[in-house]
Amino acid sequence: MTSDSPATRSIFSGRPLRILIGFILVVNGMFPALWILFTSLKTEAELTVKPITWLPHAPTIANYLRAFTDQPLLLFLFNSFMVAILSTALTLFISVLAAYAIARLQIRGRDLVLSAIIAVSTFPLVTLLVPLFEIMRALGLLNTWVALILPYTVLSLPVCTLILVSFFEGIPRDLENSAMIDGCTRIGALFKVVVPLSAPGVFTAGILAFVNAWDEFLLALSFNSSPTLRTLPVGITLYQGEFAFPWPVISAALVVGIVPVAILIVIFQERVVSGLTSGGIKG
Amino acid sequence: MATASETTLVSAPAEGATKWWTRFLDPSERTLAVLLLLPAAFLLALIIVYPVGRLVWTSFQNLSLTSGLPATFAGLENYALMLDDPVFWETTWNTILITLITVPGALVVGMILALMANLPFETKWPTRLSLLIPWALPLSFAGLIFAWFFHSEYGVVNDVLRRLGFEGVIWFNSANWAFAAICLTIVWKTSSFMALIILAGLQTIPRSLYEAAEVDGAGRIRQFFEITLPLLKPAIVVALIFRTITALQTFDIPYTMTRGGPGTSTATLAMYIHQNTVDFLDLGYGSALAVVMFLLSMGVTVVYLRMIRAKG
Amino acid sequence: MTLNKTLTLLLAGAAMTVTASAAMAQQTNLRVFVSSQHRPDVWRKAFDMYEAKNPNVKVTLETGGNTSEQQAQYLNTVMTAKDSSLDVMILDVIRPAQYAAAGWTVPFNEVIGKDVKAYMDRYLPAYAEANTVDGKVVALPAFADAMFLYYRKDLLDKHGIQPPKTWAELTAAAKKITEAEKDPNLQGLSFQGKAIEGAVCTFLLPYWSMGKQLVSNGKLSFDKDAAVKSLKLWKDFVDQGVAKKNIAEVATDDTRKEFQAGNVVFAVNWSYAWGQFQGNESAVKDKVGVVKLPAVEGGEPASCLGGWEWGVSSYSNNKTEAQKLVQYLSSPETSEFMAINAALLPAFPEKYTDEDVTKAVPWFANAKPVVETAKARPVTPRYNEVSEIIRTTVNGVLAGQQTPEQGADQMESRLHRVLR
Repeated sequence: MTSDSPATRSIFSGRPLRILIGFILVVNGMFPALWILFTSLKTEAELTVKPITWLPHAPTIANYLRAFTDQPLLLFLFNSFMVAILSTALTLFISVLAAYAIARLQIRGRDLVLSAIIAVSTFPLVTLLVPLFEIMRALGLLNTWVALILPYTVLSLPVCTLILVSFFEGIPRDLENSAMIDGCTRIGALFKVVVPLSAPGVFTAGILAFVNAWDEFLLALSFNSSPTLRTLPVGITLYQGEFAFPWPVISAALVVGIVPVAILIVIFQERVVSGLTSGGIKG
Repeated sequence: MATASETTLVSAPAEGATKWWTRFLDPSERTLAVLLLLPAAFLLALIIVYPVGRLVWTSFQNLSLTSGLPATFAGLENYALMLDDPVFWETTWNTILITLITVPGALVVGMILALMANLPFETKWPTRLSLLIPWALPLSFAGLIFAWFFHSEYGVVNDVLRRLGFEGVIWFNSANWAFAAICLTIVWKTSSFMALIILAGLQTIPRSLYEAAEVDGAGRIRQFFEITLPLLKPAIVVALIFRTITALQTFDIPYTMTRGGPGTSTATLAMYIHQNTVDFLDLGYGSALAVVMFLLSMGVTVVYLRMIRAKG
Repeated sequence: MTLNKTLTLLLAGAAMTVTASAAMAQQTNLRVFVSSQHRPDVWRKAFDMYEAKNPNVKVTLETGGNTSEQQAQYLNTVMTAKDSSLDVMILDVIRPAQYAAAGWTVPFNEVIGKDVKAYMDRYLPAYAEANTVDGKVVALPAFADAMFLYYRKDLLDKHGIQPPKTWAELTAAAKKITEAEKDPNLQGLSFQGKAIEGAVCTFLLPYWSMGKQLVSNGKLSFDKDAAVKSLKLWKDFVDQGVAKKNIAEVATDDTRKEFQAGNVVFAVNWSYAWGQFQGNESAVKDKVGVVKLPAVEGGEPASCLGGWEWGVSSYSNNKTEAQKLVQYLSSPETSEFMAINAALLPAFPEKYTDEDVTKAVPWFANAKPVVETAKARPVTPRYNEVSEIIRTTVNGVLAGQQTPEQGADQMESRLHRVLR
């Protein structure tokens, strides 16, 4: 990774400082996840010990066994993944097209279009629950992935479009023009030149869309009531009772939910970073 | 439908479709623009515009399901009701306060995180992962986890305070401490969003600019303020717009952490809307509140867009 | 829809189609929403038994969300959208009045027949009351619940103390035990002070015990003195060190966990806690006693009524079959079956002393006097608003944000806006 942007390289230097900074970053980001991991290895009794314990006294995997046997956890994961991935793909596709139109083409009222797209995202989803339910029922989409994919796409569309607009505007027009001289259509140039060059932006937009879809609870609860279509956030609530909140088992389920996403992020970010550098060299 | 037509647009083989293409492409950019915006417009119309239209219409009606009465036209009655509803004013003020605290808070923390994560680490994934994990933790559980962290007896925050020799704080027993706990949690959860967008921006800044600046003898601090910050502006504005809008919609974290307590001192407008619509089933009043919130976020968006246009 | 058409055709006597459509009409599919925290697996067995007796009925069970609140959010969405997919739904005891006012449930009066009063009198009186709105039976009881006073039998025995009959006795007993035990982790009393539904009961327990009602004949009958006294009672527990300072963050299950860990002498909680206290992970197994909640000085003991009810959706296409199913689900037989197999408290008084029941769940015999004195929270369509006002006030007072007097003032003026 020699291609680091020098934006901060010049401000901080020195290996020990770097390690310290890395440590701070990891603690800030990972602490709650680690805490959940520790909790998932504790017994419920250990949680009411005073003063509290950090590392589990007698680690147990019983909570993981319960997490998998009490509820179809893998099914929840599968549903969440499919919904999140499909809606991310749809979001990216639609917002790339829209962002290109806004960033590059001469449209009258460009600001108006942009404002309109942002404006619609300023409505809290909670308040749209009932009309949305009616729409999904009218379209016969209740209890399907599509019932979630469509609203999740809309949920992320504005932010992704705006991110991509700001990235597309930073790509020199010359690159695109030369590609078009080489015989590319405008759309071809968009997908062969503009999108690869905006890889960090596309990646960021994709991650945001994925996580937005991955996190959502209220619509998933309301539109997909069938047990075979539950997503992870809805599924995890099934471990709790009316009053009981068994943190160790819920923690185990959360860990199982976080690990695949973490792996995905690690793989995905490496690819994007390397894709970026090779694309940059070509350009 | 929209998707299908778009797929053909993209995958259309170059030779056969050239004529078809050129008719749409080169002569008129506007036609292409419309085509490209069509799928977005279609989805937004279906999922947002139609429901919002119904919402606005409902806001002018007397429609409380628990009254057992049919809906009647109410004009601006629901809006007038807000004026002397103390809970409306309190929750609105709380929402504005949360926005004013957490948006700059997340921006500063996110900027620091992004600059830190952009250092040339030998292995990158631990830091990248650390930026993204706060996002991957479902929001509905992040609030619960942090409520537990701030628990006066079993919480890790007080445990650390006690180990450092301080007295533990009963966070949720006081409006101010509860508010602080909520704001800290929101900043933690959202600063990674800021950092992510800023980091993506940082990576597109060409190295040559810094080299040139170094030749000119600019110091590191000056480089930051004269190169990094101005070039990051578009990314920062994007992040700010959406952070502000989501801050105005703050719901999950106070809902799971305090339920708006003690009393209603940490309740937000979105919580109040949710309560009126879903719990109280007063659809008319709830819709009117939502419209007010919409106007509030629209106002903010317009200000931001002006900012982009003025300086960009 | 097809079914309605079929019935119309049948009534019209269109002989041509009778045979074909009769085959269709024979099969009725009923979708039942069951709360997933209340043993849907055992309810399934009850449905199976019904299907066996009624071969033309097929019951599908649906669950969603695991707390009363999440379920209400889901059902409110479905019902606001006038969705016909659900036929029967289980409702927290605080909701039937709201659902009836919204026109979401159909009354049972017709299927019950002439003697509605006798039919309802079979249930514990509080349930007859909670399910009747303006003479209409809007839902039928599924099972009962109430708040109990759990106490550490071992500690009370050790210090020669009888279970308290009044809150003053409880204070004295708690102080005596915690002082003698010298365990800094041991607290005298745990109850719910967080702004959750449980805090409504917290407020109402002493208020009712003073003989006051919040709502009488659909009108607000708020007694401010009693409200101040109730809020003061709880606040004093905190100020005197009987309850913990952080009581404003304690929810129902926090009380259960702390008692189960052996850190509490007295605890106010629902019936589910009993099973947990007797579990293998419990530090207080076989050391727990359960009695009626204490009364205020000179008052009657009162408990808060819980439990869940069956309602039939107005948007159902099979209302008659659905109501028949509910009558079965709310029968003494099913009640007994659920008591034995799922440890759900029966809504029928005689079932508490039933031999089969007491053999399976012996402590139900102790529960009977408590459930009998349990009072229903105000039966009003706007209950959610009433609840929100009470619980935020209780929470605010316990956190020291308001004095009991200020809290009662605020409660009164806000309740007046809702109930007039």
